[in-house]
Amino acid sequence: MANTLQTPPQNAPQAQTLEAPPAARRFAFLTDRKLALLFILPAFALLLFLSIWPLLWLLGLSFTDYSATRDSGYEFIAFDNYVTVLTSEVVHARALTTLIFVVGAVGLQTILGFTIAFLISRRIKGRGAITTLFLIPMMLSPIVVGLFWKFMLDVQFGVVNSFLDSLGFGRVEWLTQQRLALFSLVIVDTWQWTPFIMLIALAGLTAVPKYLYEAAEIDRASEWFKFRRITFPLVWPLLLIAVMFRAIEAFRLFDLVYILTGGGPGGTTETLSFNVYKVAFFGFDTGLASAYGILMVIVVTIAAQFYLRYLNRLQER
Amino acid sequence: MKGRFAVSASLMAMAAAVVFAACGGEDGGDGGDATKAPAKQAALSDKPMELTFLWFEWPPAQALEELGKEYTKTRPNVTVKVNTVPNPQWHDAIFTQFAARKTNFDLPILDSQNIGEAVENGSILDLTDFTKENIDTSQYDPYFLAAYGQYPQNTTGEPNPDAKTYGLPLLGDTWSMIWRKDLMGDTPPATWEDMIAAAKKCQDENDGMSGLAFHQAGTGDAAAVTYNVMNALYGGELWNQKDRKIEGVINDAAGKKAMDVLVNQMVPLTPKGSSNWFIDEVNAAISQGKVCVGFQWIAAMGGLVDPASSELGKTKEEILEKLAFAPLPKQVTDKKPLGGMGLHVSKYIPEEKQAEALNFIKWFQTPEAQKKWAQLGGVPARNDVLNSPEFLEATPYNKVFTDSVTQLKDFWNLPEYAKLLNVHSTQVNAAISGTQQPDAALDKLAADEQKILDESGGL
Repeated sequence: MANTLQTPPQNAPQAQTLEAPPAARRFAFLTDRKLALLFILPAFALLLFLSIWPLLWLLGLSFTDYSATRDSGYEFIAFDNYVTVLTSEVVHARALTTLIFVVGAVGLQTILGFTIAFLISRRIKGRGAITTLFLIPMMLSPIVVGLFWKFMLDVQFGVVNSFLDSLGFGRVEWLTQQRLALFSLVIVDTWQWTPFIMLIALAGLTAVPKYLYEAAEIDRASEWFKFRRITFPLVWPLLLIAVMFRAIEAFRLFDLVYILTGGGPGGTTETLSFNVYKVAFFGFDTGLASAYGILMVIVVTIAAQFYLRYLNRLQER
Repeated sequence: MKGRFAVSASLMAMAAAVVFAACGGEDGGDGGDATKAPAKQAALSDKPMELTFLWFEWPPAQALEELGKEYTKTRPNVTVKVNTVPNPQWHDAIFTQFAARKTNFDLPILDSQNIGEAVENGSILDLTDFTKENIDTSQYDPYFLAAYGQYPQNTTGEPNPDAKTYGLPLLGDTWSMIWRKDLMGDTPPATWEDMIAAAKKCQDENDGMSGLAFHQAGTGDAAAVTYNVMNALYGGELWNQKDRKIEGVINDAAGKKAMDVLVNQMVPLTPKGSSNWFIDEVNAAISQGKVCVGFQWIAAMGGLVDPASSELGKTKEEILEKLAFAPLPKQVTDKKPLGGMGLHVSKYIPEEKQAEALNFIKWFQTPEAQKKWAQLGGVPARNDVLNSPEFLEATPYNKVFTDSVTQLKDFWNLPEYAKLLNVHSTQVNAAISGTQQPDAALDKLAADEQKILDESGGL
């Protein structure tokens, strides 16, 4: 048995003095912490000047009667703008339109996107090419999408109505009839953004471990059972993140409304964003529009917080 | 801890914003007092210079750039450029630059109704002294000078020696009636109701054709002008200027009758799905032979007699065998809508450019320039040119404008115009498209507009 209780050496071995190379010594004042701050600084400055400062400025303006075009200064009016926005019947109507649009468009996109992703994930031939084709609408500018759908859906000159007419269904007022106009917006938005949901769902489906399916097959589980107990529960959290992104985007919808319907007929397809634009640029009520914008940010932030909490709870299970 | 930090940061940000807001702002100067253009012309620069206009995209914009080449002949160091934006962005494109106190245009072309907003904000030059010294105003119908350049607008039609001038006429305009003379005969209907009856008869007799085409869209001033035409024809008024009253005036018996005729007699004769039609769609429907009677701004009618864009004939003569043009038929009154725009000078450009812009305006108002303008497709405003053979023979429809001059009627040029127009267009379009009953839409229009006028605010 070896004696492990040896007396420590009297003289400790002399440590080698480590000297920093000349270049590093010159920057000795740059501690790791300072260096980290230095690297963060450009990004922080960018964030400060492009996001935080404008947001604070907007917040400040929202308490005033400021107008961007009037050369007459402005007055502090406390929460008057917020009260005006929150009690306006027009805003209530636009909020309802926006809600219907968000629920309709995101719901449809989720169902279609997941279905397409599920079908594509089943080892079909040309899967890559099909996925790329499906992604094309998402890569187009919303203005371009709006313009060509406007031409296609036109009652007199549009290809969709010519086709329906040739089948004997008659022409449909896609963009000029109250309920159909909002439905058309949902359809066009769905056409453009279903691929986004599909892409996220596809990523989730590809990440499901194969051994789970193999184990299920050994137990002679049905396809429905495998979908219900393996595929869907594992993809669901990822899908919910995609839904959140889409819902926030849909809540801010402006471009398609501007191009396709101009808010018509009779203002029935005006969304909140479109209405903010009108307040901001028709008469330039900048203070009021700022309050309107801030309220929209608050609504989105609160909704997203609740959603994220739900998502976290789901993942903890 | 993290949460507490977030709450503290938010509260601090909020406090900072409130403090900033409470400090108020004096970034203006003396609001509503535009800089005056000098009565005597300043010396012009010899340096190469580009004189830039901002208008919306339509044929007269190209004609104006073409006319600019004539100006370059008199001022070789100056080139004229006309920048254009789509019609719905026209107001925003000009006024967002005014908001920045820096404009990339020298001469904004403002719709006559936007003058009030530009003057109250102090964004354009006061041309009163310049006009008195340099322009022969006796050559103009006083109503043109009032509508295209004066603020507050004089609506009496009589010259007002005390009026302040902020612009001069660039393009006169009104609606013309266009009808299929090959299907309806050469004689235009005498009254508005005769016109509706003739359009209905034509629709019934010609399969696949609709009786009428006119502006109905809820964007821009499309539906708004259409209702204003009807309101004026049936003897209504948009407001009582003296008492600043809209409610009870626009929606009186005459106003309701006008809305009823528009929605219940005219809209059923239009092509299906045309409630979002504006200038281009009406032109297309007429050129493709889909309608019997159409109404259009004269300045936008160039394409109607162009064989390249028409299915009515292979030559201009063939097209003119089918189309005829006349002033709007009368009903209770003979009023016609005043369209067109004025020339203004941006306050936010260097003095040498302001001097050049004023020189252009002075040149533009000469009879020679006005005749050339007419030849290029523009609609001049000088009486002598309006009655000259150069103008009357330039197009088959120019005479419609000359014949309409004494009956023209504009609508408000108040600073609140953009907001009023938004309500006006939305509610008229709601009635046209059937999303609201005509009377309810008119009452809501009146109430909302009165609120804007009373408060100069609101949503």
